[in-house]
Amino acid sequence: MNLGSFLLRRLLMAIPMVIGILFVTFMLVRIGSLDPVGLLAGPTATQAEFDMIRRNLGLDEPLWRQFTIYVGNVLQGDLGRSWLSNRAVLTDILERSVASLELLFWGVGLGALIGIPIGLKAAFRPNGTFDQVSRIGSLLGFSIPTYWLGLVMLFVFFYLLRWAPPGMGRMSLMISPPDFITGSYLIDGLLQAEWRAARSAFSHLVLPVICMAIISAAPIIKHTRAIALEVMTSDAVRYARACGLPRRTVRRMVMRNSATPVITFVGTELTGLVGTLSLIEYVFAWGGVGQYGLNAIVRGDFTAVQGYVLALALFSVIVFLVVDVVVHLIEPRAGRA
Amino acid sequence: MVEISDGVERTEMRASAPRRLINRLIGLFRMSPVAAVGLLIILFFAVLAVFAPWLMPHDPIQSYTNRILHPPSAEHWFGTDANGMDIFSRVIYGARYGFGIAIPAVILAVAIGVPVGLIAGYKGGYIDEALMRLFDGLRVFPSIILALAVVAATGQSLINVIIVLGLLDAPVFARLVRAEVLSQRSSVFVESSVAAGNPTWRTMFVHLLPNSVQGAMAQTAVRAAWAVRISATLAFLGVGIQVPTPEWGAMIRQGAEVMVSGQWWVAVFPGLALILLVFGLNLLGDGMQDLMDPRRRQQK
Repeated sequence: MNLGSFLLRRLLMAIPMVIGILFVTFMLVRIGSLDPVGLLAGPTATQAEFDMIRRNLGLDEPLWRQFTIYVGNVLQGDLGRSWLSNRAVLTDILERSVASLELLFWGVGLGALIGIPIGLKAAFRPNGTFDQVSRIGSLLGFSIPTYWLGLVMLFVFFYLLRWAPPGMGRMSLMISPPDFITGSYLIDGLLQAEWRAARSAFSHLVLPVICMAIISAAPIIKHTRAIALEVMTSDAVRYARACGLPRRTVRRMVMRNSATPVITFVGTELTGLVGTLSLIEYVFAWGGVGQYGLNAIVRGDFTAVQGYVLALALFSVIVFLVVDVVVHLIEPRAGRA
Repeated sequence: MVEISDGVERTEMRASAPRRLINRLIGLFRMSPVAAVGLLIILFFAVLAVFAPWLMPHDPIQSYTNRILHPPSAEHWFGTDANGMDIFSRVIYGARYGFGIAIPAVILAVAIGVPVGLIAGYKGGYIDEALMRLFDGLRVFPSIILALAVVAATGQSLINVIIVLGLLDAPVFARLVRAEVLSQRSSVFVESSVAAGNPTWRTMFVHLLPNSVQGAMAQTAVRAAWAVRISATLAFLGVGIQVPTPEWGAMIRQGAEVMVSGQWWVAVFPGLALILLVFGLNLLGDGMQDLMDPRRRQQK
């Protein structure tokens, strides 16, 4: 199968998924005890006023009709208006998405850079000392609350040691951000030789990125180890070993055969990690989509919550799609399932 | 724990009751030290939760207005918070919330997930297909965010937190049971049960169920760890559980405000308690999975 038709098929398969996602976000504001009519009308409203507001909001329509209106609006890029910022939710989210992606990219990148070698090394000698230690370490990583880790890091490296800047945004307020190229202050600063800006952006990145890396490394270690172990017991590797190939060659073979499942895992793991990302953004006041969404949840701004949940779900769909394509490119056989 | 220590139990049948319990623990230690350490940690917190009123030196919501944000001392081992409440007592009391949310949430998840998985796996067809698509679809939402949004939308109470966590976690159990049922559906004991004229429900719940819940049961500790973590996260954000409640997440929320001005003890101690309990549950869960599936650790 060539790449074009593969991509087309995957896109078509994503359509029912997206409709399902829209249905969930649509229902999210309707399952609860929220009463927008009562809020708007106030305690002294008459029945006639109630009915009028209901009609104006379109809430007198049957549920399926409301859903089609919602889908229509989303397709036109209208996610409604946030009452917290009094702006269109889509604008709010798009504006903040670069900050979130930057943190996610460096954080999970570092996490994978730590996690994959540890997982592989643990798998090469199962039940050895290194394996046991890394297993406990990974379980510990599963147990640490993200936000607590962020707070403790702020206390140690900002309050006690004064090494890191306070957890307030992506850059010192005294420095003007570099012009927009990629949206990442660090990369843009380096590209334009704005050293002060790049340095400030870097120092603000360090703590949240390390925090993200620690939390994301735990599942990566666990699954890389499991995947590599599986590969090591496969017939191909057993045969290679039986042929007496040197250990280095066998290990390289294990690594190459583990690559596809590990990439798939890290990709799908990104979905779960946007929850972690949101909490880190919240603690470090990062100003990304996650902080925006959590604030909206806490303050009860449900139009924004709806947009935020939708954005996260669509992000997952896109990531799954990209992972599929990457896997297809590396190993065309795997794509057929 | 019965499944795990079964082998030990038989050999120690004649010993007295406390002796037997100790022997069981030793047996578990031999089989899986990881699970045993996890179990000890959980027992420690269970003791804290049950005997909290006798172990707490102070009332967890008694406010000493002249001792606001005092650092740890002989009188207040973990210091006091911004309301002048004793953090040591609050951390002990918080164990009740940890168990009080996680246990009912996991029971609810099992109660929903296991029958759903059983029916989907045995009946197959449209029901199965629809359920599996639904569960796949739910995976695009990060569980913590969905839990937060749903609890915030449906009204913030402890009961709601438990129900939402239970519902969100049910697919995990449904999937595991379904997979197991699928592999056993055409085995001899099921066929003979059908041939003997048992009604379908009896085949499913009396014969198939006990043979397909092991994998799901091995997951309960890990899922309890998840529930404790998520419920604390909700409380940290002030969703579901409000602030003066002696719950660990809510206490970390209070501590977050004073952390960068140097009052570390408000957030650090409840956080350590939370980590330890979740770690214990994860250790037990990991050990249980090994015991149920010996292949997992013995690959060499």
